[in-house]
Amino acid sequence: MKTAVNQKLIETGERERLRELLRTRLIECGWKDQMKAYCKDIVKEKGVENVTVDDLVAEITPKGRALVPDAVKRELLQRIRTFLAQQTKI
Amino acid sequence: MSVHGCAHLASFKSAKGTQSYRVLHAYFIAGITEEARKKKAQTCFCHTCCRHTSRLHACLYCVYFGCYDGKHIREHALSKKHNLAVDISYGTVFCFSCGDYVYDKELEAIAKRHRRKAAKLNGIKEQYYEWEPTNFELDLLRRNPRRKRISDNSYIGLRGLINLGNTCFMNCIVQALMHTPLLRDYFLADRNVCHFQDDPSMCLVCEMSQLFQEFYSGKSTPHIPFRLLHLVWTHARHLAGYEQQDAHEFFIATLDVLHRHCKGTNGLSSSNPHHCNCIVDQIFTGGLQSDVVCQACRGVSTTIDPFWDISLDLGPSLHLQSSTSGPNSTESMGNDIGLNEDMEPTSLLDCLERFTRPEHLGSSAKIKCNGCQSYQESTKQLTMKKLPVVASFHLKRFEHSTRFHKKISTFISFPQYLDMTPFMSSRRGKSSNSSRASDNGYTNSVSIADNKYCLFAVVNHIGTIETGHYTAYIRQHRDQWFKCDDHLITRATVQDVLDSEGYLLFYHKQILEYE
Ligand SMILES: [Zn+2]
Ligand SMILES: [Zn+2]
Ligand SMILES: [Zn+2]
Ligand SMILES: [Zn+2]
Ligand SMILES: [Zn+2]
Ligand SMILES: [Zn+2]
Repeated sequence: MKTAVNQKLIETGERERLRELLRTRLIECGWKDQMKAYCKDIVKEKGVENVTVDDLVAEITPKGRALVPDAVKRELLQRIRTFLAQQTKI
Repeated sequence: MSVHGCAHLASFKSAKGTQSYRVLHAYFIAGITEEARKKKAQTCFCHTCCRHTSRLHACLYCVYFGCYDGKHIREHALSKKHNLAVDISYGTVFCFSCGDYVYDKELEAIAKRHRRKAAKLNGIKEQYYEWEPTNFELDLLRRNPRRKRISDNSYIGLRGLINLGNTCFMNCIVQALMHTPLLRDYFLADRNVCHFQDDPSMCLVCEMSQLFQEFYSGKSTPHIPFRLLHLVWTHARHLAGYEQQDAHEFFIATLDVLHRHCKGTNGLSSSNPHHCNCIVDQIFTGGLQSDVVCQACRGVSTTIDPFWDISLDLGPSLHLQSSTSGPNSTESMGNDIGLNEDMEPTSLLDCLERFTRPEHLGSSAKIKCNGCQSYQESTKQLTMKKLPVVASFHLKRFEHSTRFHKKISTFISFPQYLDMTPFMSSRRGKSSNSSRASDNGYTNSVSIADNKYCLFAVVNHIGTIETGHYTAYIRQHRDQWFKCDDHLITRATVQDVLDSEGYLLFYHKQILEYE
């Protein structure tokens, strides 16, 4: 089931549209700037030579997840529901 | 972390070129054709554990797919000595010898090209790219090292305006415009282009730009808007003279002159009912749908007209005449009989409810029906086809008739947050024909927060129709309110604003759609 949904999302291009929507919303609400500032602080503290992308991802992921506004989650969920409803109709 | 690639990627590129990255990226990352997308959908899973994980990587040497979180791509890299893999989600290259992602200008350029192509295929109109200063801008920044940092309690953007003799009608509108978020961003980002090369002093757009500079300069002394007044007198002659004018009329005249001086490209913007892409139309223009239903054959004739603001009737609805002003302002076609609808509105929502209610046009206002080929009685209903970014409401507090001029000072409550969903054509149009409207409305709308607005400015008229004074409340930093009374600016609470009488109400859309 999960695989089928995933394939449909990719095949139709909906996955990219959702990703673009999410990207836009996260920029609008300031999430991206917050995360960027947070990363900058980490890099400044440890020195750019001593941080890997994995280190950054590990450190910011919990905070990043928590800071996504509920309205954004709701909007995406609604979009996915609409998409699935359309797919089952066809 | 390195932004200049690494020795391993460099030697890979010099031996094999960028071909393998290009193909991988085109098919499995961007998906630049429909066929590529299909392939991507079928093959994107870890070749070892078969999971569809979000951090899948593809080996740059042999196109093996392995998960990152389950370490299968790492195992592959070490056992086969294939030390470079591409992240399927982002297209970045991971070097296992360096133990980190490496960034390469040439590969990034390929990725950017593919992403543009894929966006087009997926119907994503325009992607947002972060601002990157051009060399010219970098030079400007270096030569002008002074920076202004704006904090939450900064007063920058607040400036009083000297009254030049009954010009409070102008001052209150200028305050509202100076605090219209999207208009401010446009002018402060220097996006305006002047079309008055031979005489820029005659250009209202340039004057606006100048005003924004004055407001956001950090100066605290009141500004003297004599140049603006002069321009308005020149370009909107009906407002010339030293007597008190109507703030609403000034607002519409200002938008009209700005629109004319912008010289937007007509017909380019398909979603804008005014078919103009100038900044005024991008922000203020909405589309009003009018459905006239013939009472004999039930045939519907629909027209859509652009509007810049919505004028709402107050008082009992014996003599309803709601109308919109704007580009091709259409006077309402007939008088409402409205015998059974005598309730006086007490809130903005009441007014909007009444504005979008089907009205019977009566036997004295028969309209030629295309279906019946004769004049028939009909009903007319107005609904919102397209919402503007800034919704401006004009409460018709001034009544002018041949017999009297009077001001209606009834209290009309208005909310801080407004949802326009109930007044949309998609919701309303159906209700007159079928009762399924309520189920249909939501499934059709793509996003749920689409029609939500937030109050950002209110213009008030104090006094009587003969001697009155205009003031404005404006919002700053999302939630701070200030009262602008000509040269005086004082702090206010949102409650002060909501308790005020309200003449012009300005709402800003909370979520913007991109064109
Ligand atoms: Zn795996
Ligand atoms: Zn390999
Ligand atoms: Zn390396
Ligand atoms: Zn100009
Ligand atoms: Zn225009
Ligand atoms: Zn008819």
